Amino acid sequence: MELARVDTGRVLPVVVNDRESEARTPSRPLYRIPEEARDPFAPVPPPPLVRADEHDLTRIAPGRPRAQGEAVLIAGRVLDEDLRPVRQTLIEVWNANALGRYSHAIDAGRNDAPLDPHFYGFGRLVTDNDGRYAVRTIKPGAYIARRDIGWWRPPHVHFSVVGSGVRLVTQMYFPGEPLNDKDFIFLIVPEADRPRVIGRPTASSGRDRAFEFDIVMRGRFQTPVDPD
Amino acid sequence: MDDRPGSRPITPEATIGPFYPGIFLTHTPQDLWTVAPLVAHHPEGQPVVLALRFIDALKQPVPSLVVEFWQANASGRYRHPRDRSAAPLDPQFDGFARLRTADDGTMRFCTIRPGAHPVMEREALRLARPEPVEGRARSGQALPERVGEGGVLRAPHLRLTIFASGIDRLVTQIFFDDEPLNASDPVLNSIPEASVRDRLIAVRRRAADARGPVEYALDVVLRGEGETPFFDDWY
Repeated sequence: MELARVDTGRVLPVVVNDRESEARTPSRPLYRIPEEARDPFAPVPPPPLVRADEHDLTRIAPGRPRAQGEAVLIAGRVLDEDLRPVRQTLIEVWNANALGRYSHAIDAGRNDAPLDPHFYGFGRLVTDNDGRYAVRTIKPGAYIARRDIGWWRPPHVHFSVVGSGVRLVTQMYFPGEPLNDKDFIFLIVPEADRPRVIGRPTASSGRDRAFEFDIVMRGRFQTPVDPD
Repeated sequence: MDDRPGSRPITPEATIGPFYPGIFLTHTPQDLWTVAPLVAHHPEGQPVVLALRFIDALKQPVPSLVVEFWQANASGRYRHPRDRSAAPLDPQFDGFARLRTADDGTMRFCTIRPGAHPVMEREALRLARPEPVEGRARSGQALPERVGEGGVLRAPHLRLTIFASGIDRLVTQIFFDDEPLNASDPVLNSIPEASVRDRLIAVRRRAADARGPVEYALDVVLRGEGETPFFDDWY
């Protein structure tokens, strides 16, 4: 068989001072799939059933005490690259507590900050038919990523979007945080794109500070109807 | 906000970090042999086990790595609205699973061997691109009929989306070494060196129980010697 011409794709950047990034980021350029064989990589799983209270991370369950720290509202739209809403699609959100500690077994031996008995720090929701979502969480604290070089991760909230044929994982930062510009994971984002990963302050919602965070997904494979 | 095309570039991706919540795994199927515990319905096709091990540049196992598998059913049909092939859907099979590596960098994925299939509707995809409409969904929009039959045939494979601390999303595809169609698969053959292609081909190995499911094994090397090919899906 005749070998196809190799057309190299992107070279993935390595995060400076991040040992995991150095050991795990592929060194070769990504392989480009021949044009005649390009079809979606992203799955279309059935949208899961999500409880109505799962978008509110500030309480473990309705009626339970509120977690410590500042409650913030993060809301926005999920759009595809043609700016069509990505509808009925799962968003998973997770963040550290107000003191920078995750409720995760891996964070147990390495972080001196205490757990908050009223904060788990993860939640789910499904976008509406306009691609809109809103999540209420506790503004996370900063935490130290590498003590030997004094690298602190600034407050950030992880977002994962899966469904409708699109897939993205990102982190949202807060505006005006002095640690942002010293964070190697934030700095790997091209400078022009950095505003896109920072929540934009909007009119507060009740007593909570509110931020707008729109997510624009690569891909046009999403579709509003399943013809099954 | 400005909603003109191109006015709002793609949101940059980021690593999932070390603290991906385990509950997101339990919310998602992890074993595609079964529909749910004790349910008598089962997917069509040959059950197989894919035994993977993930290794970094220092030849260390990569724990807490998350893989999302996405695959066609035994007849070669994806549960994807863009897959207009004549092959039947399997009511018991969605083809989506999410697994996490153990501390030794391994995972065992119980699934159905997918069928061969034509490349999903590319032409329809291009034609279906509507003009952006500010803030509104174009619901109920009819998709064009399939443009021509007999597209490029793909060998049976699994599609993997990989997440781990230190890396952004990676994608690749894994094939089966006893599959004759590998020889003509356009994705596999876009990699010129046979030795590099082999890094995407899981090797059949004898199962402990001869009557048990067939098992395929592969090491996925994220970086360094023997590095696995990963694909660019920005298209």
